[in-house]
Amino acid sequence: MRMMVVFEKGAQVRWIGHLDLMRAMQRALRRSGLPVEYSNGFHPHIRLSFASPLSVGVVGLRELMDVPLETCVEADRFAGELNAVLPDCLRVSRCLPLTDDFPSLMSLVAGADYRIRLFSGPEADRAAEAFDGFMSLAHYQANRRTKSGEAPCDIRPFVVGGSIASGEWGYDISLRTLQTAAGALKPSLWLQCLREYAQAGEEKALLYRCAILSRQSDGTFVAMEDLAHAL
Amino acid sequence: MAYDFEALLSLVEKPARYTGGETNANVKPFSQAQVTFAFCFPDTYEVAMSHLGMKILYGILNDLPYALCERVCMPWVDMLALMRENGVPLCSLESRTPLRRFDIVGFTLQYEMSYTNILEMLDLGGVAVWAERRGDDDPVVVAGGPCAFNPEPLCPFIDAFMLGDGEDVIVELTDIVNECKQQGASRVECLRRLAGLPGVYVPRFYQDAYHQDGTFKSLTPTDACAPGRVLRRFVTDFDAAYAPTSPPVPYMQAVFDRIMLEIMRGCTRGCRFCQAGMIYRPVRERSVDTLVRLALESVKHTGYEEISLSSLSSSDYSCLPELARRLTDALKDKRVSLSLPSLRVDKFVQDTLTQTQRVKKSSLTFAPEAGSQRLRDVINKNVTEEDLVKTLTHAFSNGWNAVKLYFMIGLPTETDEDLAGIARLAQTAAGAYYALPKDKRVKGLRITCSAAVFVPKPFTPFQWCAQDDPQTVQRKQKLVRSLFDPLKTAHFHYHDFALSRVEACFAVGDRRLGRVLYRAWELGCRLDGWSDCFRYDLWEKAFADCGMDMSFYANRVRDPEEALPWDHIDAGVDKAFLRREYERALQGKTTRDCRQGCNACGLQKLKGVCRICE
Repeated sequence: MRMMVVFEKGAQVRWIGHLDLMRAMQRALRRSGLPVEYSNGFHPHIRLSFASPLSVGVVGLRELMDVPLETCVEADRFAGELNAVLPDCLRVSRCLPLTDDFPSLMSLVAGADYRIRLFSGPEADRAAEAFDGFMSLAHYQANRRTKSGEAPCDIRPFVVGGSIASGEWGYDISLRTLQTAAGALKPSLWLQCLREYAQAGEEKALLYRCAILSRQSDGTFVAMEDLAHAL
Repeated sequence: MAYDFEALLSLVEKPARYTGGETNANVKPFSQAQVTFAFCFPDTYEVAMSHLGMKILYGILNDLPYALCERVCMPWVDMLALMRENGVPLCSLESRTPLRRFDIVGFTLQYEMSYTNILEMLDLGGVAVWAERRGDDDPVVVAGGPCAFNPEPLCPFIDAFMLGDGEDVIVELTDIVNECKQQGASRVECLRRLAGLPGVYVPRFYQDAYHQDGTFKSLTPTDACAPGRVLRRFVTDFDAAYAPTSPPVPYMQAVFDRIMLEIMRGCTRGCRFCQAGMIYRPVRERSVDTLVRLALESVKHTGYEEISLSSLSSSDYSCLPELARRLTDALKDKRVSLSLPSLRVDKFVQDTLTQTQRVKKSSLTFAPEAGSQRLRDVINKNVTEEDLVKTLTHAFSNGWNAVKLYFMIGLPTETDEDLAGIARLAQTAAGAYYALPKDKRVKGLRITCSAAVFVPKPFTPFQWCAQDDPQTVQRKQKLVRSLFDPLKTAHFHYHDFALSRVEACFAVGDRRLGRVLYRAWELGCRLDGWSDCFRYDLWEKAFADCGMDMSFYANRVRDPEEALPWDHIDAGVDKAFLRREYERALQGKTTRDCRQGCNACGLQKLKGVCRICE
């Protein structure tokens, strides 16, 4: 069987890279003594895969990993035993058993919901004011930093929805983005573009990935763990 | 706009160096501890997290219910600049508390070239750099580790040094600071009490004096609390000593990212250049039973996938084959691999390993240290060419094809003939490979020889020796390089003479070098151990600005009658033994491994310390 693990990558560890997080999870699984599967050979490592790597610097509220198991384990027990050996900044919120024929999580990724929290300040006000105008643009050319310099890229098609709310802390922008074979949009790049458009400077902000999305047969989006649960 | 710490993280390389939150990191609340200790490692996070000593002392202190220990590392250049620009102080990894708010700030001294980092960390943490400028509310700044055996260059900055094994003394010191804090005792009173603690040296209670020619004359106690000599501490029951089985497990890859099982402390070989071989005496082993238990506990608490054996000379561990077999058996089901020292592993163990464990075929390392048998006898490195050929032949026929050989240039009595021996030894190694039939060896032989520059260290038989002057070192390096030019399979690397020159000055320096250190830091020297940060020109300027001469420290042979700046430190090994060893070196006489019989190094005078000589 396989276990889908829904977990939070907290603010304190948001700067940990993808490979480092993977190694941390493998070590936690080894500590837990859960019946995980190992690869063969002289370098046995625990098999696991993540639905989608999270950008460094972003808090993950409902991150997903897929852990193949040698024997069946009840989902709540799995979550409890893994939490017992994880540091506070990595928390399992839910586990869902998957059948062996369930598609790979990576193949099911269609998009992601982000929340961008702008802490109150004059620059945040400026960015918030420009939000509606920015969302109404049909195209927005950004310079994406790549290994071979900067590449121009239209970020607008990646955004399928968004809204803004304000509170005593400042503003929360909710953003629904597409993730396809053509690529994905980093929320930090989107924020940079909003600021550029609004002529707003940098101010304290915190980025969250709230959900990893799949598409249902009717084309609508659903959080991937809910899709797995429905099945 | 001024950035806070969180905002800086998005601007630096490897932000995970600064964020903590690792498995097994201490989570006790800062405010609830009676006494707080900032364990400062004067190098970057990934180096710090590879250090066994920190794991031991961090564990010991956090096991005390009333105390708390948090880690502080040296930020990298980019972060340093941003912190200064934005007024962000240096804080601990755990609770993000600035250094100045701790009761005790402790540095581990592993390498002379990390000294400027100590000044930088103190200053960035809001602690007065000069010890004399600290007031009653400031932390007590302490230090320990191998470089504390010549503490003098650091005396102006450190309140108290701990000498020898730190396991017991760090608790006693913390308790005294706590007691003084609860009683509201003054800083001077606290330092007086610390000076009375065995193994602790409080430099402010001693006055240094020099002869007219600039040589060191004496160090005299100026306060009744200060002992004339300070004897280092010894952990006598090493089997029962604390071993860190649940150290913090870093997220980012540390230099040594695995369980380090300390099987033994100390070394019996007596290499004459080696400080560790002298100051960590006597040799103490853990039992196989204890080690198997510690290994299993470590796997359980860390989840690491690899264990390596840690000691100065693991192949000398007396029950190595048994330990290897027992560990292999115990770890088999856990899929944890074991790296063993490549030397002296018997045939049976080798076979067991190939079947069940990962055998590293990439890193076979030997340290002949000198190119000729004559010079190896001088330094008492009892490795013969025959040993090397035998081991290499065994390794090459077992699938290895890459060998690293480590040497030193500038050893006492060295001649060009000895240097030529380095290239000759590389050829011998290649010969051992080509002597095997083609189907018995793996293609693509690589031999890498690297040569450090000899640095005289306190408490070694070579403590009186001079380092070669820069011209000589460079001439010798070029000579060896030219001898490697015609060799196809062997490559030669050598260390920068300049870095080793400054290292030598501070290794054998006196208290007056404190000013030079401060000046170098003021000029911008830091992270000197990283070749891309090291600025020899600034160090030269710092020496010149203080009217000091590097050659006086690095390139001068010391007279046997000359007082040494570290004479007030008692390392257990006595000066007469070191001198005897020096004389034997000059005569090319080797000294036996002390497991074969006591060499009367001085430890035999201390009751219950050395089991070998008893």
